[in-house]
Amino acid sequence: MTHEAAAQAQPVVTDTTFWTATAIFVIAYAIIVSERVHKTAVAIFAAALMIVLKILEQHEAFHVEEFGVDWNVIFLLISMMIIINLMRPTGIFEYIAIKSAKIAKGEPFRIMVIFAIVTAVLSALLDNVTTVLLIVPVTILIADALEVDPIPYLISCALASNIGGTATLIGDPPNIMIASKAQLTFMEFVYHLAPVVVVLMVVYLLIIKVIWGSKLKTRDELRQRVLDMNENEAIKDPVMLKKSLFVLGVVLTGFVFHGMLHLQPATIALFGAGLLLLLSGTSNPHHVLAEVEWPTIFFFMGLFIIVGGVAKVGLIKWMSLQMLDLTQGNMFATSMVIMWFSAFASAIVDNIPYVATMNPLVIDMAKQLWPNLSGTQLLHHPDLMPVWWSLALGACLGGNGSAIGASANVIVVGMSERIDKKITFLKFMLYGMPVMLITVAIATVYVWLRYYVLQI
Amino acid sequence: MKARDLMIPLREYLEPDDTLSDAARLLRTARRNEEKIGVKGLPVLDSEGMMVGFLSIGDILKAVFPFYMTLANLGNFTWDGMVVNIAEKAGHSKVSELMTKEVVSVKENAPLMECVDHMLKNNVKRLPVIGEDGKVVGILHERDVFLTITKSMLDENPGNAK
Repeated sequence: MTHEAAAQAQPVVTDTTFWTATAIFVIAYAIIVSERVHKTAVAIFAAALMIVLKILEQHEAFHVEEFGVDWNVIFLLISMMIIINLMRPTGIFEYIAIKSAKIAKGEPFRIMVIFAIVTAVLSALLDNVTTVLLIVPVTILIADALEVDPIPYLISCALASNIGGTATLIGDPPNIMIASKAQLTFMEFVYHLAPVVVVLMVVYLLIIKVIWGSKLKTRDELRQRVLDMNENEAIKDPVMLKKSLFVLGVVLTGFVFHGMLHLQPATIALFGAGLLLLLSGTSNPHHVLAEVEWPTIFFFMGLFIIVGGVAKVGLIKWMSLQMLDLTQGNMFATSMVIMWFSAFASAIVDNIPYVATMNPLVIDMAKQLWPNLSGTQLLHHPDLMPVWWSLALGACLGGNGSAIGASANVIVVGMSERIDKKITFLKFMLYGMPVMLITVAIATVYVWLRYYVLQI
Repeated sequence: MKARDLMIPLREYLEPDDTLSDAARLLRTARRNEEKIGVKGLPVLDSEGMMVGFLSIGDILKAVFPFYMTLANLGNFTWDGMVVNIAEKAGHSKVSELMTKEVVSVKENAPLMECVDHMLKNNVKRLPVIGEDGKVVGILHERDVFLTITKSMLDENPGNAK
């Protein structure tokens, strides 16, 4: 039996390898959490160490789905970024934001509500960071025009984006990663997560009504500034806009039917990116490709390899055994533990490395429970499905818990610093933590009711 | 021809703790040769006379340009009085917050072509000229380089511009 085959049959390898891999994993994650060194540099170096120290073969890191880079996630992210980079200069996002402010008739709280809804919907269709980067500049401009404090709008925008992103497969990186590992389709995410997200959004709007409903006031002449804006002037390139909307339509339709078409979401997105690049008629795609968030992409690649290393040596298996020990194989208890643990873990650490670790852990746990099953029979076992949804809900909604819980939060905090009104860690938590607790509590009731009482 | 032959010797300069209003006043009235017609940029020197930055008209424009407008195309959605409002508040900011900190400069004996090279590659219109003691001795303006170049063209005697 070769070394590789032995490792796959019996994940616990020699002790030194186990401890080396575990040490790389723990130290890398600790440095990432400390933010002392850029997370991408840490992830790439630790991943390379896993290969240099022969914990993983290079072949496993690059080409084996179980231990290496999940190219489905990587290509989905890159392709969506390319589509957005091509769409952004058309001015569509400025158009939507200005139009929304006018629909709200320049009333400060109505604007907050409409911006929260627009942000949530866009976050469900694009990634959260992109959405926040597109919406927040317009939000600050409108707040300046109305001479109201922009900070409530920034906080509300981040929170809404994390809630909205939970609804779909492409809305938030944890969902993209879960979908790929668990082989779940876009429509399964919509069917299982979108209903609860709609409820969460309604509750969220009630929460902001209580917090800010009566506090945001402006004068009529300032409202007129907003009403005088002509959103049509935002559109810089109507021809490219039509092409972009066409391709976005194709991509979203493709996502809806990808299960039936037997095409992975990454294939659909790559098709859209290629098509829009062609249609744009660009002779030099350099800047479009250069603006892809390469540090994020390489962070993902590094993490996949690091987690692959500890999965191969059996650390993930050990962790899954601890989980089973804790819940005694009770799947309802497992769902609840995963949802709440994920929520707090995601509030404290980046939810991307967290989910990268949890995915193989859940799969390993399933292998212990149903040793005779494999493939989708194992991954889609009726008792396992609520666990996946709990992981997604906990990891996505947990991002609201603190200023560093989600990338969208980090961005609005950064922007608040630039306008000399820094949202402190505690200030963000004052709003974010209650929203997280309330939304996760509702998600708990939802999972319990839908999967364990009604069983639909 | 060297940088020192074309530069305008240093007379006025700013200090890091000056406010933007102080800087604006000096930029509007600073001497250029003997006339008081204002300049488009001044070096910022510390208490020992060493250059720590450069403040130009562009930096003053940036002071009234909200950072969020750099992130999206929002030029069509502004209102009357927006610039004036921000400018009133910006007058209290310190020069050190807005100056360009990494200044492209030349040594006083730098040949003219080296100066052109810096101006084109770094897209700057003014080059502080540094003397032997490391201190700024003058400013080389794009306009004076232009005058020298065009003089050669018009004299039909390009040899002089070397």
